[in-house]
Amino acid sequence: MITTITILIPLLGAILMLLLPDEERLLRYAALGVAAVPLVFATYIYFAFGGDLGVDALSQDVTWIQSLNIGYRVGLDGLGFGMFFLSAFLTVIAILASRDVRRNLKQYFAALFVAEVGMLGVFAAQDLILFYVFFEITLIPMYLLVGVWGDENRRPAAIKFFIYTFLGSTVMLAGFLALGILADTYSMSALGGGGGLSRTAQVAIAAPILFGLLIKVPAVPLHSWLLDVYVSSPTSTNVLLSGVLPKLGTYGLIKVAIPLLPQGVEPFLPYVAAFGVVNIIYGSFVAFMQPDLKALVAYSSIGTLGFILLGAASGNAVGLNGAVFQQVSHGLYSALLFILVGVIAARTGTRRISELGGLAARMPWAGGLLALGALAAMGLPGLAVFVSEFMSIMGGYTTFPVQGVLAALGIILSAMYLLYMLARVIFGPIERPAYEQIGDAGPAEMVSVVPLAVLLVVLGVFPALLIGVQRPAVDVVLSVIGGS
Amino acid sequence: MAVTGQSIVALLPELISTGFLILVLLAGVFGGGNAGISTGLAALGSLAVFASAAVLLATSFSGSFFGGGYVVDGFALYFKLIIAGSALFAVLAAARWSGSTGDAPEYLTLILSVVLGATLLVSMRDLFGIFLAIELATIPSYAMVAFDRSRRESAEGGMKYLITGVIASSVLLYGLVLIYGVSGSAQLSDVAKTFTGSLSPVAVLGLVLMISGFAFKLSAAPFHFWTPDAYQGAPTSAAAFLSVGPKAATFAVLLRILLEGMPDAAPTWTAVMAFLAIITMFVGNLFALRQRNVRRMLAYSSVAHSGYILAAFAALQGGGTAFAVQAVLIYTAAYAVMNMGAFLVIDLVGEDAKSYNGLVRANPAVAASMGLFMAALVGIPPLAGFFGKLWIIIAGAQSGSILVYVVVGALVVNTVLSVPYYFGIIRNMILEEPTTETGRKEGDGAVRFSVYVLAILTTLFGLLIIPLSALAGASGLL
Repeated sequence: MITTITILIPLLGAILMLLLPDEERLLRYAALGVAAVPLVFATYIYFAFGGDLGVDALSQDVTWIQSLNIGYRVGLDGLGFGMFFLSAFLTVIAILASRDVRRNLKQYFAALFVAEVGMLGVFAAQDLILFYVFFEITLIPMYLLVGVWGDENRRPAAIKFFIYTFLGSTVMLAGFLALGILADTYSMSALGGGGGLSRTAQVAIAAPILFGLLIKVPAVPLHSWLLDVYVSSPTSTNVLLSGVLPKLGTYGLIKVAIPLLPQGVEPFLPYVAAFGVVNIIYGSFVAFMQPDLKALVAYSSIGTLGFILLGAASGNAVGLNGAVFQQVSHGLYSALLFILVGVIAARTGTRRISELGGLAARMPWAGGLLALGALAAMGLPGLAVFVSEFMSIMGGYTTFPVQGVLAALGIILSAMYLLYMLARVIFGPIERPAYEQIGDAGPAEMVSVVPLAVLLVVLGVFPALLIGVQRPAVDVVLSVIGGS
Repeated sequence: MAVTGQSIVALLPELISTGFLILVLLAGVFGGGNAGISTGLAALGSLAVFASAAVLLATSFSGSFFGGGYVVDGFALYFKLIIAGSALFAVLAAARWSGSTGDAPEYLTLILSVVLGATLLVSMRDLFGIFLAIELATIPSYAMVAFDRSRRESAEGGMKYLITGVIASSVLLYGLVLIYGVSGSAQLSDVAKTFTGSLSPVAVLGLVLMISGFAFKLSAAPFHFWTPDAYQGAPTSAAAFLSVGPKAATFAVLLRILLEGMPDAAPTWTAVMAFLAIITMFVGNLFALRQRNVRRMLAYSSVAHSGYILAAFAALQGGGTAFAVQAVLIYTAAYAVMNMGAFLVIDLVGEDAKSYNGLVRANPAVAASMGLFMAALVGIPPLAGFFGKLWIIIAGAQSGSILVYVVVGALVVNTVLSVPYYFGIIRNMILEEPTTETGRKEGDGAVRFSVYVLAILTTLFGLLIIPLSALAGASGLL
């Protein structure tokens, strides 16, 4: 019941936003207040039920369509809880970071809240059709957030995003339906281990599901929709777009494809791991060549998503735990970097790396946090990303040595372009006289980035806080797929 | 052939529509040119037909009457609800426009005659009864399309519709006569006895001609070419009504003929349906992509949706039969609410795609409704169209036929293919700047009311789906 309430509160929030008078301060505080509720609930769930998320208080099972055995089945487990929490958390951050949005604020927050319903729902759904419904609910608000509030290039970017990901999810739905029909249920708990399907059937079903999920991630070379969308979006949309949405794909891989079709995905796993490595290496090289700071962060984000694919494909405890963890740490660092890029662009009026330089002198806090985010992205020990990337590589190396070694090389590549970026943007002489006048990030901006930085550090130092919650669920997956 | 109390109850929806049809005409003669009276009577009539069908359904009234030629079962009553419901919205939408033409009673009478023909049609179990009922439903619809004398396109569309419709009727009649000749009886139950084993060439010819005749009526490719002109020329309420109400009835009777009259010939006709479905989906969507006029776009979209429903017909085999019947029932209801809504919005906004620019600022409620209709027509969950497609895909997957898998694959591809033109409208409404044209039309309260009600039905379809699928389960056709 708590889970359902948490999912539905943003929907009420969206309606509330549309009813409130058009006054900016009121809207911002109201949105913040609404967004805080799911976060408080998620935090409560962590402390009250963190040891055992499988309790009845968190799950609900109502049959929706009798003849097809489709139900409203929700519940939390360690695979989804981290992202469930992060979705609520990043929505609060996105609202704090939404200062660049001035037009139609109430509609903006309403769309943001509808997207939050979909995101929370995906990570709690325990029924394939419900999973798909929540998966798609995120689509239209995201289309609007990019298409209405983005920059000049927003319209083609938004429609491209929509068509690509809709194609992916429709193909994925076909796979879900085939699975549900053959196994005669859509309940994820009843389907565990393949639902009694033959290996051939599982392979045939896994192919469309994996295709749909990999578009969503996106795995290179299915990523061509991504750059325009990331670059065109307002900062606060970026927070969700990079922090949560790719994980709809990776979570589907870990929660649906692997445990429900263990024999079906098996032949594909080496390629999923290889896709991960391609993401890491391709992302790094392309990021290196970007003249635009936001595009660089976008490609960096594609790159580090590769570790999730590698860890998920590994099929062992270390790799899977790393993948589940990396979903969260990737969300934290990419949100941090996107917000800071927004802060810098607002001060200097440009995002071109060649036109920036020496910002640390004028913006010690923003510059320092940018450096922290960049160090996190390259996997510096002591920060959350290190833990998860290291585990993903270790797990991946055990199963797929070649892919594991190449992924480790990718860390070096990412260090190259991130250090280059830091050197160009925040260190060195001040590039333009105009920059002498700019001030540091103000309290309103700091409040949206500091929590991210704090969590990056806390999870980096005490990874057990999250791994302890996710381990039981990972063990269940391992017992299904017969890994160790 | 005794007329008993039972048979009068069975004919209640038809008798009510006949009664109101006469009343509306009389109101035209004696009402002193007051369009309000005839509109009220016509709306009341549609409601009464709806209510009578609902009562019959609720009391599980069923039976076979008039020598077995007329049947009342859950299946027939379900479609009578769709027909009467869509007629009600058509009357509401036509209220002001038909009043302004000065011929409101005549136009509303036509709507009620179509209702009469279509409600009869879904209950017919006799080949010639079916033909007569189809004609009773189509002949008034030619006049409805051509009714707008102030626009040349209306007459042109009506003419094209009439000519192709007459050809279709003769092809259909030819097919029915051949089937009658082979089986020696017009009763579907007798036809079923002869359509077994390997079919004689005459029987196959009869089957193919009959399906071609239906394909014309259902605007299935390659017999669809009248659709864009007719729907573009027709008054909005006529296009909205004809594309959902009588069409649903035609699908229903085709389903009855095929399942009751020739179940053993299923391998033959499912193959024909599979090819028709694939061609129709692609033609509808590919042509819709090129349209700038929203009426024409919706006309081609209705071709595409006919293709989707025909895909359910192709799945009427193996383990998919029960789900395929449900799919037709659910899809026609879903299509009725979302397509009718989209057509009625044209009356409020305009038919040029550009007139939707920036509508979300000029008129947010109408824009939101239109957005819902467009998203539902694509099949985005949890809106109406999603459930229709869900059932078709499930039926197709259970049919166990490779050809049907191909059809389902084509349906998935076409769903994605249809995104650009439906979302083109959403993009115009939300992302483009308003032009001077935006929201130019006034639109009256009745249309607005209908649009909002239909938008709510489109959104809450997922909750309606439970009673609907239960009804569909008790359809009596299987």
